[in-house]
Amino acid sequence: MAEAILQRIAQGDQDAVQAALKTYGGLVWSLAKRMLRNQEDAEDAVQEIFLDIWKNAGRFDSSQSSETTFVAMIARRRLIDRLRFNQRRISADSLEDVLAEPADRSDQNIQTVVEAKEAFKALDVLRPEQKQVLQMSIIHGLSHQEIADATGMPLGTVKTHARRGLIQARQYLGIGSPDSQKEVAV
Amino acid sequence: MSIEREEARLDLLVKQAIYGLTEEESRELKQLDLQGGSNFDGQAFELTAAALSIASLEKVDPMPQHLEARILLDADRFFAERAPSAAKTVTSSTAERRPAAEETGGWSLWNYFPWAVAAAACVALAVNVMTDDPNPTVVQQPVQPQVEQKLTPAQERDRLLASARDVIKATWAPGNVKEIDQIGGEVVWSDEKQTGYMTFKGLPANDASKETYQLWIFEENQGDKTPIDGGVFDVNENGEVVVPINAKLKAKNPALFAITIEKPGGVVVSKREKIAAAAKIEAPKTSA
Repeated sequence: MAEAILQRIAQGDQDAVQAALKTYGGLVWSLAKRMLRNQEDAEDAVQEIFLDIWKNAGRFDSSQSSETTFVAMIARRRLIDRLRFNQRRISADSLEDVLAEPADRSDQNIQTVVEAKEAFKALDVLRPEQKQVLQMSIIHGLSHQEIADATGMPLGTVKTHARRGLIQARQYLGIGSPDSQKEVAV
Repeated sequence: MSIEREEARLDLLVKQAIYGLTEEESRELKQLDLQGGSNFDGQAFELTAAALSIASLEKVDPMPQHLEARILLDADRFFAERAPSAAKTVTSSTAERRPAAEETGGWSLWNYFPWAVAAAACVALAVNVMTDDPNPTVVQQPVQPQVEQKLTPAQERDRLLASARDVIKATWAPGNVKEIDQIGGEVVWSDEKQTGYMTFKGLPANDASKETYQLWIFEENQGDKTPIDGGVFDVNENGEVVVPINAKLKAKNPALFAITIEKPGGVVVSKREKIAAAAKIEAPKTSA
């Protein structure tokens, strides 16, 4: 059962490693490839990410998020670190692609990512400007200034949309709790 | 916490979730956290950004087997250091292979004809029937996490030929790349074991930073539009090379194997502009 994997790892059950790779390997690998755009970098990063996952398994709190989201967060932290270290951008998508409407995903293989549909719904409940800013920043890696330049929005407005969009998406997804300050030591 | 400080903290949390923080910003955030009184859980923004990033994945690709093997070895070490007496040995069945590109998509731009021509040319032109060289130049060095003896691709190929009863073979012929007109070698494949090996003579070394070779497997009953991605590989030096096939999906009754030249990492759908070689199965399966 997926929700028990991190708990088992935290308890030292090494058999859960295989289950973790089976359940989250594709997700972490796909995130790494998307963000780093380099096979070798992505492989190194994925190795580091899974070590981070083993180390932080005990910090997972099912009342805060799903395991999938927690694993994706650890992955993103490591990937962002690598990008910052290399001073590279998250993606090499052209601005044209970034501004385009998302492709119809109805026939694409996303069943292994159980949260994907919910996350899509979360994006869809946002105001169009908030959705656009979050897509351009989180998914395509554009800076707030670049988003402002591309869309014509004032920089402050871009930041406001990002913040409010995150808050609303968080509420929709039921992530975290107001009084929790858990940190992950990655 | 004052409104100004709360605003500053929120700005930092948003930045952390989306772009990460500099060391200075991290220190600033810690100081603000120490003051307490905030209603916002910092990690919740990161979790939210992570959830949204999952939504961005158009598809989830399986992790390459060789990478999985490396991670299993890492886990072995990690758990051994944590609890040496309780550490278990992970026995992985994964062998390191070159990473395949991505799942195969449709090849709507192609016709079967060029492949057939190339394959026919193969039969006409191929003069080098490969021998089992005990010391071929091996491009891909599998690192197997098993305790058992590590075999080279050439040895693994020999093992396959000796053990599988349904091995099929086909000889490489040049494709449409002018510079690759003297290619030789063969491909062997077993449906039963879902394993195969390619042997090449005359396939030029590629600049891995600019391009890679990618194998496509055309099944007998699937036509030419949906070939199976057989994985990407590089050739480091000229000469004879043995390359394991890393099929992304189960391949049944292959009718044709083709090598294209693609960007590093391979592609999901090939435009089939550069066909380095093709090998057509000429006869029904024979015993090895």
